[in-house]
Amino acid sequence: MIPSLALRRKTLAARFPWFEGSLSALSASLVFFLASLIFFALLGRSPFLLFGELLSGSLGSTYGITETLVKTIPILLCALATALPARLGLLTVGASGQFYMGAWCGTAAVLLFGSSHWAAMPLMLLAAFAGGAFWGLVPGFLRAKLEVNETLVTLLLNYVASLLVDWVVYGSWRDTSNLGWPATISFPEWVKLPFLVHGSHLHSGLILALAIAVALHVVLSRSRWGLSLRILKSNRKLGEGVGFSWTGNVALVMGIGGAIAGLSGILETSCIHGRLESGIALNFGLTGFLVAWMAGQHMIRIIPLAFVMGALLSSGDALQLYAQLPEATAVVLQSILFCSVLATGGFLRRGRTP
Amino acid sequence: MTILELLLGILLSGLRSATPLLQVLLGETITERAGVVNLGVEGQMLSGACAGFAVAAASGNPWAGLLAGVLAGMLLSSVHAFLVLVAGANMFASGVAVWLLGGGLSAFFGIPYVGRRIDGFASPDFGGAAKLPLLGPILRVATPSVLIALSTWVLCSLFLYRTRAGLRLRAVGESAESASTLGISPTKVRWAAILAGGALSGLGGASLSVDLVRNWVEWMTAGRGLVAVGLVIVARWNPWYALPAALLFGVVESLTLRLQALGVTISPYLLSTLPYLVCLGVLVWGSARARSKGGMPRDLAQVFSKTE
Amino acid sequence: MKGITKRFGELAANDQVDLDVGEGEVVALLGENGAGKSTLMKILYGFQSPDSGTIEIEGKPVRFSSPRDAMAASIGMVFQQFSLIPALTVRENLQLAYPDLPMVPARGGGRDERLLSHLERLAPDLDPSALVADIPVGQMQLVELAKVLNLEALLVILDEPTSVLTPIETKGLHERVRQLAREGRSVILITHKFEDVSSCADRVAVMRHGKMVENRTAAGLGARELSSLMVGGAKVVPAVRVPPPTREVPLLEVRGLTAGDVFSSVSGIDLMLAPGEILGIAGVSGNGQDVLGACVAGMREVASGEVLLEGVAVQRGNGGVPDPTVVGFIPERPSVNGVAPDLDLSVNLALKGIPRLPFWMAGRKPSAAESLPLLEAYDVRPRDPSRRARDLSGGNLQKLVAARELSGARKLVVACYPTMGLDLSATQAVYARLFAHAQAGAAVLWISEELDDLLRFAHRISVLSHGKILGTVAAEGADRNLLGRWMMGAAA
Repeated sequence: MIPSLALRRKTLAARFPWFEGSLSALSASLVFFLASLIFFALLGRSPFLLFGELLSGSLGSTYGITETLVKTIPILLCALATALPARLGLLTVGASGQFYMGAWCGTAAVLLFGSSHWAAMPLMLLAAFAGGAFWGLVPGFLRAKLEVNETLVTLLLNYVASLLVDWVVYGSWRDTSNLGWPATISFPEWVKLPFLVHGSHLHSGLILALAIAVALHVVLSRSRWGLSLRILKSNRKLGEGVGFSWTGNVALVMGIGGAIAGLSGILETSCIHGRLESGIALNFGLTGFLVAWMAGQHMIRIIPLAFVMGALLSSGDALQLYAQLPEATAVVLQSILFCSVLATGGFLRRGRTP
Repeated sequence: MTILELLLGILLSGLRSATPLLQVLLGETITERAGVVNLGVEGQMLSGACAGFAVAAASGNPWAGLLAGVLAGMLLSSVHAFLVLVAGANMFASGVAVWLLGGGLSAFFGIPYVGRRIDGFASPDFGGAAKLPLLGPILRVATPSVLIALSTWVLCSLFLYRTRAGLRLRAVGESAESASTLGISPTKVRWAAILAGGALSGLGGASLSVDLVRNWVEWMTAGRGLVAVGLVIVARWNPWYALPAALLFGVVESLTLRLQALGVTISPYLLSTLPYLVCLGVLVWGSARARSKGGMPRDLAQVFSKTE
Repeated sequence: MKGITKRFGELAANDQVDLDVGEGEVVALLGENGAGKSTLMKILYGFQSPDSGTIEIEGKPVRFSSPRDAMAASIGMVFQQFSLIPALTVRENLQLAYPDLPMVPARGGGRDERLLSHLERLAPDLDPSALVADIPVGQMQLVELAKVLNLEALLVILDEPTSVLTPIETKGLHERVRQLAREGRSVILITHKFEDVSSCADRVAVMRHGKMVENRTAAGLGARELSSLMVGGAKVVPAVRVPPPTREVPLLEVRGLTAGDVFSSVSGIDLMLAPGEILGIAGVSGNGQDVLGACVAGMREVASGEVLLEGVAVQRGNGGVPDPTVVGFIPERPSVNGVAPDLDLSVNLALKGIPRLPFWMAGRKPSAAESLPLLEAYDVRPRDPSRRARDLSGGNLQKLVAARELSGARKLVVACYPTMGLDLSATQAVYARLFAHAQAGAAVLWISEELDDLLRFAHRISVLSHGKILGTVAAEGADRNLLGRWMMGAAA
């Protein structure tokens, strides 16, 4: 980097604590715009028109915004589910598997207790927490006791969980009276969370997700437990020597993280689809992973980033409707954004003088 | 059918099933031996499968399809190489981003080809030899992909342990610092290793769509790339062990297919979890052994313990 | 080398340094840690380029942009942290460094004679197919030397070669150095040990604070003169031996301690320390010292055996309950084992007290105000409690860990190489505080490679070799040769 520019950057960074963050956000957005413009142009479409569609479709109307927020909820929860274990240095990509297991167990609870007006919802939520937590504890256990790489375990378990959902959806839980898409029976109204905006899909799971994010942030930054995680992550042997438990904390973060992802699974099942179907996790797990990464595993920073991702995803619907672009466009745009963030983040880190 | 023929049949169909996985496994072994993890191999496989199928369908020439797959894989892997080696991004995050990119692009460009079928490779007429008891089944299974995969297996292993370039690759993976004091450029070696991994995973994907199943569905590789990353550990980063590792997965997979075909009443979805669970089991077993007896390239071990 | 200058930010690592070496001459390059010797050699070997100054080989100016250029100019360097790759075989390591290696190199059977010729001369009974990870350290050094000679190096740079060798291996190395000189090669020997200088150096070049302060023949140079040259007359208060303990009842008892893994282990360790006693553990590193220290301090799990502090089992595992608050533990390689690199200095200093903080830490969080006095007392630089530990140099991290572990009342202090990488004044300061704990009645287990220091200050010395204690003697009047033999592994 040119010395004078580097110096100017250093002084600005010292003066304004938000400088570095804004710089990376700005440069990443710039690269993203350029890259997607190129992508659209390569498709032979007018890039600016498409971008306009993208923005108006996701943010330009009440409907757009509610749809964006609807997509934000699972992304936010899956990102939190990834970020918490990452605070201990665990790299999990298992949110979608935990999502499916949460949906699976929650659906089981509804099928068993759905007729009870007051017990069904809490039991459903509890079951979802338990299912997700279990799916997180398995890789956690393997890592803590047998030093098996948790990234690979969670990746494999994702596929297993998705197949387990297919198994029941196509098999014993299938609603035979519904001749169309294979799915379970529709969930009764009393297991769905109240809706925030009348007439839309936006449910109060959003409040729940935001509350979880804030709670995690406060606990991790202010409590002794949060500090113990930082110590264990930085030097495990040292943390254990001082008296903190590695295995106990692995179980804790993987379990809680799994439970959060499980929650997102049952919320999507119950409030959005109204029943358990195949393939509802989409790419929420991977997206959550990358959102958490981009946010530096910071619980509050995840919120706006999840929103941006939600906007990109819901814009995919708009692009499909108005520009006849396939669903996969949103995924491509997402990955372009991630690559832009990774690239600019790396370069900016390199250019920073300590 | 005798027991021997039955077992041979299972082994051979397992080999067929395992071929794409074997290619990716070899590619990722080379990459990890240089000290780089690439979770994006799944996306590279997908892009190879899509590009390969598209070219094969458009041109009618399956060989062109395979070549297209190689190029597509290399192209996508160069994104990973750029992000990790030039931009200095974390290699796990970059791998996931490349995975998503490959999946998205292949889903996007593959739409016109969903549901289409192609002819694949014309099977040569072996005449009377095809009817022989042992040789026959072998010849029937030996599609070009299988043969390419087997030769890749031998070539990769010899490359790694017997050539100067392979020695330098291993040196970089063990300690980039020491290698650079010897005048080797770790960056150049890693670029080459990542691109080689890309070529092989693209080839694996193309083998799947062009040769083995001869159609295209989005996300069709169903996690094979990730299974490969796991099996690299099981194979102790030794390409010679890649064949038995891939074969294990392939045999389980083809067994589950056979069970389904035999009308076993277990849900096909449950059966499909078996390959992943077996891979998981072997991974757990392999991890314990790899840790106590070593085998992991040193610089890679540092990568796995640092997540920032 | 003429007028070499190299700055890192504000610090001038090399300041107008001149150095010349003649053919067949052995020059000892001396200086304390941080004096600038390694930087100078890194420049000579092409790792760094100087800000100003020139290098001439045989009268012709040269410019090195990478180690490759230096190797091409027939300069070879044997590093302190070896650049051998442990997972590869000896032959493969030599092949990597060999110029013009064919694309498919030969693998034994006499076809690689030229590759192995130097190695066969230096270490005739070394099997080239052995993994470097499996051969002893002394032989590793010979492989490094062979690597360098394979390049037909005319100038060989040896960086602190004797720091990891037993006394007998050291003598062997001195002989090799003299042999190299007889062959007409030039040698630069970076060292801070007097015996290296007296045994093989023709000339002595001394650096201090980045400048070359002395360049004279080695003839007639005495040990005291040498160390005053290195320190430059700085005031150094030498530590004094603490009076031996008077009570006989043991404060620390180690019984049958067995622990470790395939890389490093100890078995059947029995020790007894009285209150106020300093027990020195001598031996070349790599014989299980790290396991011994960590297990006695309760930081590492034992397979069997006990560590009894005042009769209470404080080992980790096997029914013991470790008590980090009364044990001070300075681990080996503190940058890896002793600090949390991503956290700041104040957290690192307050580490032992964190488990006892309340759940909501609020105002009780480790603060800068509490840490500053400690940083001052131990001379940790930079003096900034908000810095992350990973920004500190190795020597400062050593001081940081010492600050944390040696401040506060301790019943037991386990110190592994506590003065590694520290200059003379810092060393004396750490020793003073370490021995003060003994004077206050703590048991001190002191693991060190500096046999001279152990002989001067410890009460008793045990030798650790291949994971076992081979013998224990009183430090005063101990027989150095006996200790040297034990260190080589000969039975007591």
